[in-house]
Amino acid sequence: MIVPLPTPARLLHRASPQDPSVFPQGAEALEEVGAGAPADAAAALAFALSRLASSPSETRPIALVTTADWLSQRGRPFAGGMQGWGLGRDRLIWVRTRREGEALWALEEILKSGAAAGGLATAAAPPFVVTRRLEFAAREGSAVGILLRAGPAGDLSAARRRWRIAAQPSSLDPWDAAAPGGVRLRAELLRRRDGPPGSWNLERDDETGGFRVAAGLAGHGVDEGEQRRLQPAVTAA
Amino acid sequence: MKANSAASNPPSPPPDAAPFALVERGARGLTLHALNPAARALGLHRGQSHADACAIAPHLESAPAEVEHDLEALRRLALWAERFSPAVSVDTTLPVYEGLLLDMTGGAHLFGGEAALLADLRRRLAQAAIPAHVAIADTPAAAWALARFSHDPETIAPPGRMREAVAGLPMEGLRLEPAALTLLKRFGLKQIGDLYGLPRGGLARRFRGPAGLRVVERLDQALGAIDEPLDPVRPAPLYRASIVFAEPVTHVEGVAYPLPDLARALGQQLERDGRGARRLALIGFRVDGRTTVIEASLSAPAAAPEHMLRLLREKGLEHLDLGFGIDALMLCARVAEPMSARQGEMPTEMEGERQAAPPQALAALIDRLQARLGEGAVRRPQARESWVPERSEAWVRATPQAPPQPAAQDDRPRPILLFDPPEPVETLAGLPDGPPAHFTWRRAPRRVVKAQGPERLSAEWWRPGAGLANRAARTRDYYRVEDDQGRRYWLFREGLYGREDADHSPSWWLHGVFA
Repeated sequence: MIVPLPTPARLLHRASPQDPSVFPQGAEALEEVGAGAPADAAAALAFALSRLASSPSETRPIALVTTADWLSQRGRPFAGGMQGWGLGRDRLIWVRTRREGEALWALEEILKSGAAAGGLATAAAPPFVVTRRLEFAAREGSAVGILLRAGPAGDLSAARRRWRIAAQPSSLDPWDAAAPGGVRLRAELLRRRDGPPGSWNLERDDETGGFRVAAGLAGHGVDEGEQRRLQPAVTAA
Repeated sequence: MKANSAASNPPSPPPDAAPFALVERGARGLTLHALNPAARALGLHRGQSHADACAIAPHLESAPAEVEHDLEALRRLALWAERFSPAVSVDTTLPVYEGLLLDMTGGAHLFGGEAALLADLRRRLAQAAIPAHVAIADTPAAAWALARFSHDPETIAPPGRMREAVAGLPMEGLRLEPAALTLLKRFGLKQIGDLYGLPRGGLARRFRGPAGLRVVERLDQALGAIDEPLDPVRPAPLYRASIVFAEPVTHVEGVAYPLPDLARALGQQLERDGRGARRLALIGFRVDGRTTVIEASLSAPAAAPEHMLRLLREKGLEHLDLGFGIDALMLCARVAEPMSARQGEMPTEMEGERQAAPPQALAALIDRLQARLGEGAVRRPQARESWVPERSEAWVRATPQAPPQPAAQDDRPRPILLFDPPEPVETLAGLPDGPPAHFTWRRAPRRVVKAQGPERLSAEWWRPGAGLANRAARTRDYYRVEDDQGRRYWLFREGLYGREDADHSPSWWLHGVFA
């Protein structure tokens, strides 16, 4: 009897929940992304965008929902810079709200409508019930919802994965040693439904516009000490 | 048949009050602008000087006239009167004789005939403490004259017999300039009917000049020989559905209950013409002669009643100020567009079924968000042809289709968050023309370990108002820097050392952050 082999895409998809050491590329219905420090907000936003844009065949737009508070502290989204993260100008929608309650309501509407591939909302303290609603809405509209939080929080949340993002010194620019090179960040998965937490050093993948695990050890997270040992070798090469 | 009804409201407090006048400050000092019946009974008249009036009636009370406010009130009343007719105009041809003109052509039967219409109109105005005279006639001019100079407060001129209807009215009923009136009176022509027997040629010749010519024209307008177009306060909506309540409605539930029927009726009208609403208005007509409105915009034309209902509910029916109650409710499409013009493109076979979300879903989503969050809350980016970063893209009002983008796209590194306006930083530069070695932003010192630049963006001198004092007029050198924590910033130095303007030394700004 011939058993049809699963396609590579299927394999990948199946691999992520089973092996907790593999960086989960695909996004769950609702995820939470927090910045390790206030200054890491841009890194957290970029990571969130890469999660939203993780499905390459998707053409539906992506919505960013911001509160007035967040906007005044963090600056306004610049679509010219987001293009590098796999999101063209034609796919971006920006929703400005005054308060957090409005932002969460807007995100729920966006996810539920099925018209958007995903939505991101800035939130300081979303109530647990609201996160439950958001998760259901995301499943209903087959979309990805992301809550972008100023810092990691230990409160209850229905988010399937909770990340903490910290910026890392960039990789070496091959043409100019004094210039900032490829984007790197450290993604800590504090809590996940389908396995134990983990952490990965990620770098920008220029081909897809997303993130991949840094240091060339594909499929495995690299801890701090190991990376320090690896870093000179990589720069020498 | 063209029917017009006119209502005038002489500005008068209750008639039993003491003599009262509104005064106006003019070239000849204070003059009387409007009087109540008690003051008129004492022989005072409009235009008299206030000093003379006080000599005749020492106990005359007066207040300054507010012509602007009077007109504004009349305009508000005109909006309210839209419940009777879609075309209501404010008539201001002659001062003091201001009034409203309602085009009732073919509409009187909706209110139970002309007599019932006039009675209803007057009763409702009286409820709002507005004493009014109303008249209906074939021509606006005849209705104007009858409403002001007929002895009966409700006058109906029999159709086709305007000559007889206005013959007995005083000459003032023709809306003539004072000079022409004086001249006519001097000839002993006191009533409009006196003009009928006179030869038109002679009349026109006699009353030459700007004042005189109007006599023949005004007479023709009253008798319907020439047409008089009306200028409504706002264009009549083509699509509208309304309901009249037997009793004034004071609660939101009472408004919400008939709303589905109105939406369905409006949707049918729109669908019949293949059009969709782009702007909806729900108008409540209050018993006190005012209107209350909620409006909702749609990002793409739609005629589905459910969508219109959801939008209005999202806007919040509780925002309708019902006051002492509303007795009629109207839902109208202020702006309607053809539906076919905005159809979405066909999904190609390459896309999966998940991606083939109909553009209607996105349009409905945008409408819903805008209804609750405000008109400009939902935006999409559009690249602009400018290299100044804050002007290189605009967030425009969202539409279901992405706004067109210019063909040329540059891939220079740009931050994902932009500070607009840029935030000032204090720097410690190693070299005058290089990137800073240290900088302080938001009171935190940061050490630069990597930097790239400069990317020089010079001023767009062709922009209007780009003087040297203007920020946009100075050259900027942009640097991409990374601090020792791995955070990347976009700094720029504004101005050049020893060049451009000597008064301002170059300053450093933080314009954005990279991931």
